[in-house]
Amino acid sequence: MTETVIATRSLSKSFAARGRTVEAVRDISFEVERGERLAYIGPNGAGKSTSIKILTGILHPTSGDASVLGLVPWRDRRRLTMRIGTLFGQRSQLWFELTPRQSFRMLAAVYRMDADIAARRVAELGELLDATELFDVPARTHSLGQRMRCELAACLLHGPEIVFLDEPTIGLDLLAKQRFRELLVHLNESAGITIFLTSHDVADIEHVARRAIVINHGAVIHDADVASMRRTLLSRKLIEVTFADEVPAPMLSGVDVIAHTGTTLELAVDTAVRSVRDVLDDVLGERRVIDITVLDPPLEAVIAEIYQS
Amino acid sequence: MSVRLVLTAMATAARRNTSDRSGVLVNAVFYVVVASVLSALWRAAAEANGGEIAGYTMVAITWYALAAEAATVSLNMRTIELICDDIASGAVESELLRPAPVLGVRISMAVGAALPRLALCVAVAAVLGPIVGGAPPSTAGVALAMPALVLAVTCNLVAQHAVASMAFWARDVRAIWFLYQKIVFVLGGMILPLQVLPDDLERAAMVLPFMTMAYVPSRLASGHVEPELLLLQLAWLAVLLVAAHAAFGAGERRLQVVGG
Repeated sequence: MTETVIATRSLSKSFAARGRTVEAVRDISFEVERGERLAYIGPNGAGKSTSIKILTGILHPTSGDASVLGLVPWRDRRRLTMRIGTLFGQRSQLWFELTPRQSFRMLAAVYRMDADIAARRVAELGELLDATELFDVPARTHSLGQRMRCELAACLLHGPEIVFLDEPTIGLDLLAKQRFRELLVHLNESAGITIFLTSHDVADIEHVARRAIVINHGAVIHDADVASMRRTLLSRKLIEVTFADEVPAPMLSGVDVIAHTGTTLELAVDTAVRSVRDVLDDVLGERRVIDITVLDPPLEAVIAEIYQS
Repeated sequence: MSVRLVLTAMATAARRNTSDRSGVLVNAVFYVVVASVLSALWRAAAEANGGEIAGYTMVAITWYALAAEAATVSLNMRTIELICDDIASGAVESELLRPAPVLGVRISMAVGAALPRLALCVAVAAVLGPIVGGAPPSTAGVALAMPALVLAVTCNLVAQHAVASMAFWARDVRAIWFLYQKIVFVLGGMILPLQVLPDDLERAAMVLPFMTMAYVPSRLASGHVEPELLLLQLAWLAVLLVAAHAAFGAGERRLQVVGG
């Protein structure tokens, strides 16, 4: 049986800025079930962070209703904070001069956790996030990837039912991103924690979420499961190849040549028609290659495609 | 706000502050330099005035200067500026995501950060005072000065939080920080005993909260055994807490309605 843990109805928020009114969020309605992994995505300035601020209770909406775990966030903020976790990619919950374990002691007091229970929870999280050895080293010495694992532990310390993550993978290298995404999926599958993830990294959506809500200019423009999005909107991959010698532009079905400058090729591949591997086999052949990059299209391109479709 | 949270916040900030050993050392050296120079200046003034100035002997004025500098050097006088930066950057906004009063945690941490420095300043003063000025004029006065120093630091930090709340409405309040600092210097009795001020200004300073921030512990350390000054500090602390709570609370509500 499903349980709705987040519900919004016609949620709007506008700000006065330099004598004019800016609508940051416009008439947003959606529901999220317990245990879902939702990507809430959009380009910079789309209204993602404003939505999260409303749903976590730190911002009042101009109009509309919202309920998170049966509470009205902006009225029951303190009670709600005991049941949700938040992680902002560009804001730390840890004190850099201290070890994460010392920061956790402070957070445990904030969340009114019994000291023994908190210590057990820290041990569990250390194991779960493979971060035990990081907990006793000052946070300032961590790499960004290590820090984010400790931030996630801080966010999960009090056992939240929903975790709101705002651009958590920003600045991480590819391996750290991949590891972080796997952790989120694992947390969701093992502990049933509802994941509400905002990002403008298309790969975050593909690898973490089962459902994606796309917002642009403050309004929901798409709400679908990621499997269908993958077929329709996320099927394009970009390939950039640099050859040692000049090559002709390929003529392949499902492949658009974006740029060709003799030794370099930029291709857009529709993976619904032809796989990346097939394209690489055809294009590379026996040629000498200096560099290859396979990229997801930027979110702006996905949004443009949503508008076109 | 629970006692456990207050103590944990203070301990966390103290640990954080003392983890920077070189910073602590620089602070102690700064204290030695400033306290030595200021007390030497006042001793010279007292000597030129027949060995006494505004009722303070040369020994008393030395201990006045040592206590006044300890009360101000041990805390971060830029607290107002730091809070303003945190309000502008959204750090305060994200602290609303925790089930604890933002102001209470912030004040506890600020006091916790100041206390180890204060302890070090007191230890330095215990060595420096007898060398440069002589033994303290009254043991009872020094004993009363200890809790007065803690209250002085607390009053100052609470007042800085109240003043910094203006940043919820005005982005840049650095000018206010500058003004506040100078008021504490003069009307707080940090660089001179309030009795040295012109009569009108002295009377005004005596009824303002700034006198709790340097003058009270310094007056006690200089041998004036006036325990009622501690009660005055407690009364002003209560007033400042109410003012900070009202100002910061209003700022938080504004943040929730109009955003950061």
